[in-house]
Amino acid sequence: MKKELKFVVNGESYDLWVEPNTLLVQVLRDELGLKGTKWSCDSGSCCACAVILDGRVVKSCSIFALQANGKEVLTIEGLANGPELHPIQQAFIDNWAFQCGFCTSGQIMAAKALLDENPKPTREEIQLAMDGHLCRCTGYNMISEAIQDAAKRLQA
Amino acid sequence: MNEYSIIGKPTTNVDGVAKVTGEAVYTFDMTLPNMLHGKLLRSPHPHARIVSIDTSEAEKLPGVKAVITGKDTPGGKYGLWRRFRELADQEILATTKVRFIGDPVAAVAATSEDIAEKALDLINVEYEPLPAVFEPLEAIKDDAPLVHDDFENNINATRHIEWGNVDKAFKNADYVREDRFNLLSQHPAPMEVHSSIASYEKGSGRLTVWSSTQSPYFLQLGLADALKMREGNIRVIKPHVGGAFGGKNSTMPDSVNAAILSMKTGRPVKIVFNREEEFSATEKRTAMHLAIKIGLKKDGTLLAKEVKIITDGGAYTGLGATTLYLAGTWITFPYKTPNYRYDGFRTYTNKMWSSSVRGFGAVSAVYAAETQIDRAARDLGIDPIEIRRRNAMTTGYEAPGQYKVESCGILPCIDKMEQRVKEKWANLDKDEGIGFAAFAYMSGGIFNWIDTPYAFSGAMVKVNIDGTVDLFTQASDIGQGHNTVSVMICAEELGIGIEDIRLHPADTATTLTDLGAWGSRETLMNGNAVKAAAAEVKKKLIEVARMKLGENIVYDLDAKDKRIYIALRPERGFSYYDIVKDAIKGNDGEPLIGIGHYTPHRKGMVSPAYAMGIMGVRAKVDRETGQVEVKEVIVVHDCGQTINPLGARGQVEGSIQMGLGFGLCEDLPTENGLILNPSFVDYKLIRIREMPQIELFDVPTYDPEGPYGAKESAEATTAPTAPALANAIYNAVGVEFDSNVLRLEKVLKALKEKEAKEKGKGRR
Amino acid sequence: MKSVISDFEYFTPNTVEEALKLLSQYNEEECKIIAGGQSLIILMKQRLLTPKYLIDIKGISDLDYIKLDGKQGLKIGALATHRAIEKSPVIRNGFSVLAEMEQNVSSVETRNWGTIGGNVSHGDPSGDPAPVLIALNAKLKMTSLSGERIIDAEDFTLDYFETALRHDELLTEIQVPTLPPNTGVKFTKFSQIIGDYALASVGVLVTLDEKKEICSDARIALGAVGTAPMRAKKAEEILKGKRISDDLLAEAGQVASEESSPTTDVEASEEYKRNLVRVLVKRVGGEALERAKKA
Repeated sequence: MKKELKFVVNGESYDLWVEPNTLLVQVLRDELGLKGTKWSCDSGSCCACAVILDGRVVKSCSIFALQANGKEVLTIEGLANGPELHPIQQAFIDNWAFQCGFCTSGQIMAAKALLDENPKPTREEIQLAMDGHLCRCTGYNMISEAIQDAAKRLQA
Repeated sequence: MNEYSIIGKPTTNVDGVAKVTGEAVYTFDMTLPNMLHGKLLRSPHPHARIVSIDTSEAEKLPGVKAVITGKDTPGGKYGLWRRFRELADQEILATTKVRFIGDPVAAVAATSEDIAEKALDLINVEYEPLPAVFEPLEAIKDDAPLVHDDFENNINATRHIEWGNVDKAFKNADYVREDRFNLLSQHPAPMEVHSSIASYEKGSGRLTVWSSTQSPYFLQLGLADALKMREGNIRVIKPHVGGAFGGKNSTMPDSVNAAILSMKTGRPVKIVFNREEEFSATEKRTAMHLAIKIGLKKDGTLLAKEVKIITDGGAYTGLGATTLYLAGTWITFPYKTPNYRYDGFRTYTNKMWSSSVRGFGAVSAVYAAETQIDRAARDLGIDPIEIRRRNAMTTGYEAPGQYKVESCGILPCIDKMEQRVKEKWANLDKDEGIGFAAFAYMSGGIFNWIDTPYAFSGAMVKVNIDGTVDLFTQASDIGQGHNTVSVMICAEELGIGIEDIRLHPADTATTLTDLGAWGSRETLMNGNAVKAAAAEVKKKLIEVARMKLGENIVYDLDAKDKRIYIALRPERGFSYYDIVKDAIKGNDGEPLIGIGHYTPHRKGMVSPAYAMGIMGVRAKVDRETGQVEVKEVIVVHDCGQTINPLGARGQVEGSIQMGLGFGLCEDLPTENGLILNPSFVDYKLIRIREMPQIELFDVPTYDPEGPYGAKESAEATTAPTAPALANAIYNAVGVEFDSNVLRLEKVLKALKEKEAKEKGKGRR
Repeated sequence: MKSVISDFEYFTPNTVEEALKLLSQYNEEECKIIAGGQSLIILMKQRLLTPKYLIDIKGISDLDYIKLDGKQGLKIGALATHRAIEKSPVIRNGFSVLAEMEQNVSSVETRNWGTIGGNVSHGDPSGDPAPVLIALNAKLKMTSLSGERIIDAEDFTLDYFETALRHDELLTEIQVPTLPPNTGVKFTKFSQIIGDYALASVGVLVTLDEKKEICSDARIALGAVGTAPMRAKKAEEILKGKRISDDLLAEAGQVASEESSPTTDVEASEEYKRNLVRVLVKRVGGEALERAKKA
């Protein structure tokens, strides 16, 4: 039996009716058409589906959509300011911090959550924050450098 | 020293904005109007005869629009090795028997994934289980069950390579040793699972397929063969791909079944594998038993090498026959091998089949060769860097009848490594060791087992009246950054900016054939095609400029910085934009088009060019737990001319992540053909906290065959990682291994055995 | 990709009482509690659990707290997230071992939503919080409509995914007593990939006498090496009442490894895990001792 889901996504309010067994990632991708958040693993092990829920980065594949009722979600689509990229997005581009790009949305959202909480993270703190994110392309080091670069840009 | 405007300079990804904003569309994301969802019913048995299939209940389920089995397909077999038709051994859906757990026997298209899955449960298949075989050494025995009836002793393919006189050379050697290795499988594990959408137009009989593929062309050919359709009636489009690493070369059940279901229903059909299917039913690295014998002079000079390999092919061929050949080739690089003999056998077994995975034979072969040479060095009392130096190839080296190395930077790479290690790794902690491994790899393959009549790569450049350029190339960017390389080469050749060029990639209908992204071929082969296409346009522009200048013909013109000018008198020239207008207007309004092709000729049997290098790994071993910590890695490589240093570095580091996985923690244990760890929970991948710091040094050379002298950069570095690590472990704590995946327990066991042996010998 | 989670009816009680009333309405086989769901949803995706009714207690803000009472010690509401515990200044100052453990539980994403109560109630023998709570001599409060029960942490997990919680009870609070003076606590989990599920984990509490010479109390908790997290009581006896030396720690490790009952799985053999227990108890015991000396 469907239940009401009232929440805000990327600043816009939505009022939907969803089955309780619907995951947050399904609502975002299939109902709202926000395909930037990806789905890769079926077992909560890769964080490709990471979004920011009430200011905290979470795995949208491991949360029922109804648990986001009354809350605010930020996805990759909500990060840029119109045509202007967010400094984290620009830092990822400038530092070649993605290759195939499939894990990138999740990585950027986690980086945002990290830098919101800790504007000057050490390399070790970055690694701890990004540990849940699986990437098969980059070998991770360039991602860490992009986040350090983003931190500098946000401080400026 | 060449002064390029763009080549060799760090350039950001032309797909960058799309990928960081979530706007990049992958097949996984796509939906089409009126689309159905497809699912595959897979065999639970490793080997069984199909007695009967009853789909009647499934067909009745509301929402189900089609259920197909083997009898609903055009029949016959297909495969990528089209040159040798006997190796076409795959069916769209199994008809008489299934050959591995996961072999598809039926497919369903329904209005939702949920309904498609429920329909699978309603299909009734009666199997008669048959005896199965899982291990190559068992499979070749006379009494082993046959996986394919036509293949005696389950031998799918053989390979023999020989030059010189190996037996004589061994007799003359001062030192001979033979080692045996058991190299394990590994899964490509891309982040985007296999995804395909097929849309069949009933009226015209034409099929369009979007797929997460490494090669739209290979897919087009495979579908044409499987569906018995004309190639030209099949259009394959590659959207962004979320990684492939060798597992997305073949025509896989997702694409071909989506096609048939679409033909049957008249609606687009999408098939996406779940992660369990991705791990257990898609192509993986070829496991193999390997015996390698070398004969050396006492100063370490290599006189002879003899290699025997028997690979675990799994149930079908895929690209596994190529792996068999390449393993026997890479095992000779990067050393001068005066006498060589190789015999390789690929066997069928009742498991998911193995094919090409990043490194394509090199990863397994180089593990064996590079750990063995360290053992030989130890026995002979020679420094591991020195023994490699002594045997390294030099420019012009030729392996008779096989390959010739036109550009070769391995010696300066070795020198640089030696120097850097002295600077950086002079002081080691307790239980820390340094290990090395040298490597080489191809820039695309010469072999044409796909049996294409086309040039190996083509490109088309169209310049518009306002100077913007449309670049059409079928080459595949699967994350490695080739889209950016193509645009860079086109921009450099025409003397314009990246921002002037719009790329139209990877659509078989609108672009000229390219064989796809495998064997590190795109930079050299497609790069050459793009360069040639741009050069054709540049020639036309220069002709127009020359006429306008009216100068003596000995003055050469260059195109650079959006100008076309006299090379010796740069102030005399015109804006590129003006010349473009003149070129079009002055030629009856005909569009400015350039077409370029590349196919390697007279380049031996293997590759037009070889990248080379050496890797050093520093690691620490915990003697009580067997835990290995990889602290730092140094790579010195010669890839000719690096086109994009950002992309090259990204590829090297990514390939090291996979190489470390091969060395430490990635494997696919199976029991009676069932893969035991088909999820990211149990299939362990190196994550950010395990990744060591990596230093990369470039030793530029120039390969005459490559665009601007460029060769491949970084599938190669997948191979030396694990052996360099194994050598580092030996130097740290004194244990050797005859296999990879040096997981905890393996290392600990080796340490305990060593301890016991030493106690036995009365040593402390 | 699609979710394969079966259908269920969904409730969102706002108070503990509402939740308990709902629990009592449905029987055990068909009804489950969800808090952060970080463990539960994985099981539901694999169809290992297909409850018909799901009671979502995540919204019960009364259960989300971390309080320090000078005399009674630390009180953690069952719905405190792993992340809150990891970051809590109160915990970092007084019970740092809890924050250290939480830092390595899965990923930030899991810790931001998953709760300590949910984790412990799950009864996973390789969960990280349970052995730490056992080492700390914590108590768990379970609430039902008929009242409250408080039991020792070591009596909470009974067997593989089975706890002392009755169907009509909710775990509501975790109580960690104030540490005696001269006490040091350390926890380490060991996995091939850092931060992954433990192959073996060890939590050790060491209390020294006033002179900081003799061990007056030792608690050794083991995780992932049995059907439930356990105390290695015989190993504790090796240390108690003695001056702890390296040899003694090694002996305690040996005894603890014999007390444990790990099983062979895809990743490692029983023999290897026993060896891990031996090594970890020795090392972690040594680190707890150092902390006790500095306390």
